[in-house]
Amino acid sequence: MIIYTVGRILQTLLVLLVISFIAFLLVATLGDPLGILLPPEASLAERQELILRLGLDQPMLGRFLHFLWGMLHGDFGLSYRTQQGVGAMIAARLPATIELAFVSLLVTLFVGVPLGIVCGVKPNSVVSRGVMLVSIAGITLPNFVVGVLLIAIFSVQLGWFPSFGRGHTVDLGGWTTGLLTVSGWQAIILPAITLAAFQVTFVIRMLRTQLLEVGQSEHIRFARARGLSERTVWFSYAMRNALLPTITMLALQLGNVIAFSVVTEGVFAWPGLGSLFLQSVQSADIPVIAIYLIFVGAVFMIINLFVELSYPLLDPRLRKGRA
Amino acid sequence: MTAPLLEVRDLSVVLSRTERDLPVLDKVSFDIAPGEVLGIVGESGAGKSMTGVAIVDLLVPPLRRSGGTITLAGDRLDRLTPRQMRRVRGKRVGFIFQDPMTSLNPVLTIGRQLTDTMRRHLPVSRSEARERAISWLTRTGLPNPARVFAAAPHELSGGQRQRVVIALALCAEPDLVIADEPTTALDVSVQAHMLQLLRDLHEETGTAMMLITHDLGVIAKMADRVAVLYAGRLIETAKTQALVTEPLHPYTAGLMQATPAPDETGVMRVRAIPGSMPGIGAAPSGCAFHPRCGRAQDICRQTPPPLADAGGRAAACYFPLHREAQP
Ligand SMILES: Nc1ncnc2c1ncn2[C@@H]1O[C@H](COP(=O)(O)OP(=O)(O)OP(=O)(O)O)[C@@H](O)[C@H]1O
Ligand code: SF4
Ligand SMILES: [Mg+2]
Repeated sequence: MIIYTVGRILQTLLVLLVISFIAFLLVATLGDPLGILLPPEASLAERQELILRLGLDQPMLGRFLHFLWGMLHGDFGLSYRTQQGVGAMIAARLPATIELAFVSLLVTLFVGVPLGIVCGVKPNSVVSRGVMLVSIAGITLPNFVVGVLLIAIFSVQLGWFPSFGRGHTVDLGGWTTGLLTVSGWQAIILPAITLAAFQVTFVIRMLRTQLLEVGQSEHIRFARARGLSERTVWFSYAMRNALLPTITMLALQLGNVIAFSVVTEGVFAWPGLGSLFLQSVQSADIPVIAIYLIFVGAVFMIINLFVELSYPLLDPRLRKGRA
Repeated sequence: MTAPLLEVRDLSVVLSRTERDLPVLDKVSFDIAPGEVLGIVGESGAGKSMTGVAIVDLLVPPLRRSGGTITLAGDRLDRLTPRQMRRVRGKRVGFIFQDPMTSLNPVLTIGRQLTDTMRRHLPVSRSEARERAISWLTRTGLPNPARVFAAAPHELSGGQRQRVVIALALCAEPDLVIADEPTTALDVSVQAHMLQLLRDLHEETGTAMMLITHDLGVIAKMADRVAVLYAGRLIETAKTQALVTEPLHPYTAGLMQATPAPDETGVMRVRAIPGSMPGIGAAPSGCAFHPRCGRAQDICRQTPPPLADAGGRAAACYFPLHREAQP
């Protein structure tokens, strides 16, 4: 198990290295740091000096190592657009995105899981049929359409929630949070629902399918034949079997969530990483794009690793013999 | 004779269809005395499993019980609410499933499955349940019971899993155990051990048993009495010895000849009954066996023969074999 864990961690690091290299190539081949960092009237000598200082005369590999070295020491390069450090720009946007992801995860769990259970345990009830009907909308409507619809209804028509921004934020030693103010919560609700729409329907459908399948299985029949209560049968005996594939699939959906967060942040002008990415793409701000890619890749890989390493807690089949 | 533990009268099960219900079990009646082993035999599809499942009300739609009464020690099981029925399952009637590979929950430990079952039915504390679970694992002949207790099903072999299934069926100390083909899914080498184990536990605990099998060899070893099913009907019932030596119904005799046995010259012979059993909804008029029966007459094709009592045994046949042997 320990060998397995270490192996998976090394594997993750390797993938991150490859992502970093791709991002580096992006910067090295598409960027024109001289044109941006020097005034147009700069002399040839000044250009030479900057080339030497930035190490642009070095071979690619040396420059990549230099790039990695810089990242490990918190130097993520300079934005072409704002001339600010990329690290600081990302750090400033990070809380908004994390809070949005967090609230949408809450929505997913507190809406998706109970409804999924209802649909799996009582597939023919009126509630289940209604939920399944509505969930078709969640699967088929593109993310931005959901966002625009919510804005049209709840912001424009009813005026309950704002249609853009984070509301009032509080600075907690570098972390600006919107979760401590009423207007912050009002502002986060619509984007969080938009971002969660796909996952909620996904969780409902996954859990339903899994529970229906497990419900037919021989071991559940045997559990019933031993007189276990329906509660025990569904919540301890069937749920454990159904949850595992659901979590796996949800983790594999993480790529979608990241993509959707860009769209959602765009629709709601949410000042997070996603809209930073959009702005950077519009102004060809290569260093920011590159670091964003590395960052997203790292988050994606780490969450996947975390999910995978936590399986054995849920499934005793994986607890032994996988060293 | 003591009062029967289980009395099944005219048990009928149908397969619900929008057009019409197809009969799966047709007025099956039998008794099981306390501590008795009743064997249920018949070809595949005869309705053996349905009989067992219907007793504990575990039929899944579109199958449905359409009539008959089931009485367990004076209590009408067919009238219980689902909640009351859940108190009967496991506690008063244990059920052993056929396939040990799929009968155990793959993500829960053996110990958890055992203690959950006991704590549902018996007033035992967590630690008592644990002790009893380990003692059941010991009694079912599992080596290193403490390890098995903590193990997940996938860590055990098929034979070991079936021992666990047996422990699970018996752990709440039921008066009756329904064992549906308890050895069919196992290696031949393990089958004999498993039968011996069932036999031993039956003698130790004194539970009555309904042993479902298509193997007359198993019946001969295990059962006190036998009931033979054909196309959803009970066609013969007798004490095992009487049934094996002097079957009355031609189908029973055919079944026995279809079991490999040495003939006078010592050569193994199998004589299969010609034709095949009708599927559900396809039973012919009269005696369902008549298209395959060498003794069939006109009356057999017209009216179904009743299950006629003949000196402690019964057969549904107009022209039974071994008539002359009857007192
Ligand atoms: N869910 C179902 N839907 C339709 N028909 C069914 C269903 N379950 C069982 N049957 C039919 O009911 C009849 C009786 O089935 P049962 O399982 O009792 O047979 P069995 O005697 O136990 O046979 P086997 O030796 O194969 O286990 C069979 O003809 C079978 O095809
Ligand atoms: S009733 Fe007739 S057809 Fe049926 S088994 Fe007896 S002899 Fe054969
Ligand atoms: Mg069967």
